[in-house]
Amino acid sequence: MNEFLTKVAAILEVNEMKSSDELKAFPQWDSLAVLSVIAMLDANYGVNLRAADFDTTTTAEDLWNLVQSKKRV
Amino acid sequence: MNFSFRKKRISGLLTVVPANESSFIDEMKNFNFPEARSLKLMEVMGYNKRRMVKEGVCVSDLAVHGLQHLFDRGLLKPDEIDALLVVTQSPDHFMPPTSNLIQGRLNLKQDMLCLDINQACAGFVVGLMQAFMLLEQESVQKVVLINADVLSRKASPKDRNIFPLIGDAASIAIIERGNDDAVIHASLKMDGKRSEALVIPAGGLRMPSTAETATLEDVGDNNLRAKDHLRMDGSAIFNFVQLEVPPLIEGLLSRAGVATGAVDYFLCHQPNRFMLQKLADKMKIPHAKMPNNVVERFGNSSGATIPVAIIINLKEQVTQGSLQVVLAGFGGGLTWAAMLIRVGNLAFCDLLEYP
Repeated sequence: MNEFLTKVAAILEVNEMKSSDELKAFPQWDSLAVLSVIAMLDANYGVNLRAADFDTTTTAEDLWNLVQSKKRV
Repeated sequence: MNFSFRKKRISGLLTVVPANESSFIDEMKNFNFPEARSLKLMEVMGYNKRRMVKEGVCVSDLAVHGLQHLFDRGLLKPDEIDALLVVTQSPDHFMPPTSNLIQGRLNLKQDMLCLDINQACAGFVVGLMQAFMLLEQESVQKVVLINADVLSRKASPKDRNIFPLIGDAASIAIIERGNDDAVIHASLKMDGKRSEALVIPAGGLRMPSTAETATLEDVGDNNLRAKDHLRMDGSAIFNFVQLEVPPLIEGLLSRAGVATGAVDYFLCHQPNRFMLQKLADKMKIPHAKMPNNVVERFGNSSGATIPVAIIINLKEQVTQGSLQVVLAGFGGGLTWAAMLIRVGNLAFCDLLEYP
């Protein structure tokens, strides 16, 4: 999960990210950030999320759990 | 589904772009986003300059300008055209077909087929397939394939999701019989269940244009657009391309028995630089073999982007020699299509401005 947090932090251009951080609280969280995260998850985890999947995702940990659940399918 | 063709070739390419250029830097103040984020978007997506028609300019105007240029320079004779295909999503009228309008404006012969095809970003490959099929007829010696759209007229200037990437253009490809006996392979898939990802909701008969459909609204993403405007679900399209296009091209190459490394270039539709880089990465193709520089210079002109990519990147190679290329288009419909073809010895391969 640390590697995942580092990658999300890089997309949002912040130094570090905690699993409890709320994604939408970052001012950089916009459609470009969402698309960049979608592309990162596709390239690194083989998971394809849609923008709507982020509606039910609050924290970085929520997103990580969503990725894990999709990976198992 | 799969198709194969023999002894067909592209013999010339011309793309007409409006002289009118607009720049992302000038436009970004219209968007409801912090400037720093818009600059980041510009950097990642490769937005910069693009070409837009001036008010009132239609598809037939760009096409007539280009065809007249070819007639004037003796590169094409009016009487040689046995079929005129116009692939567009932004026709001059519901009725008549834009191809018939072009035929009439140029005083072309009656003994010919005019056919409009409603296809978008996959339209160059779909149009080539239709042209090749027509050339099976003895009476058809030469087909003019026009891919043209003026979708900037259907994009909201306050929609950062779509406005900064749209460009207008009309490409003209001359298609005729060739001597090369190598099989031209093509593959195509369609999925109307996902058609909502790229849609102009109003303006047809399902939802006629009214004052209400012309009203700008915020659907929750800080972008303002009306129902008369083109809408794109960017992340759905991104996933669609990443999921569907690599297996389509891999299947095409394996059917043809051609290794990825034996293909000189992968000439894809140009949605934006980001998506093309991710597609190349996924397919393990070097970025240099998949040009992605059309959007930053001209914008995404739907079915005309593959001809633009050839003209601005490979003019010398395809006029003085030939290249084995994969052409791939993907977008509205949804439609995705790819073709393995040798392109070369073109009589012309030029860009022309519409004043």
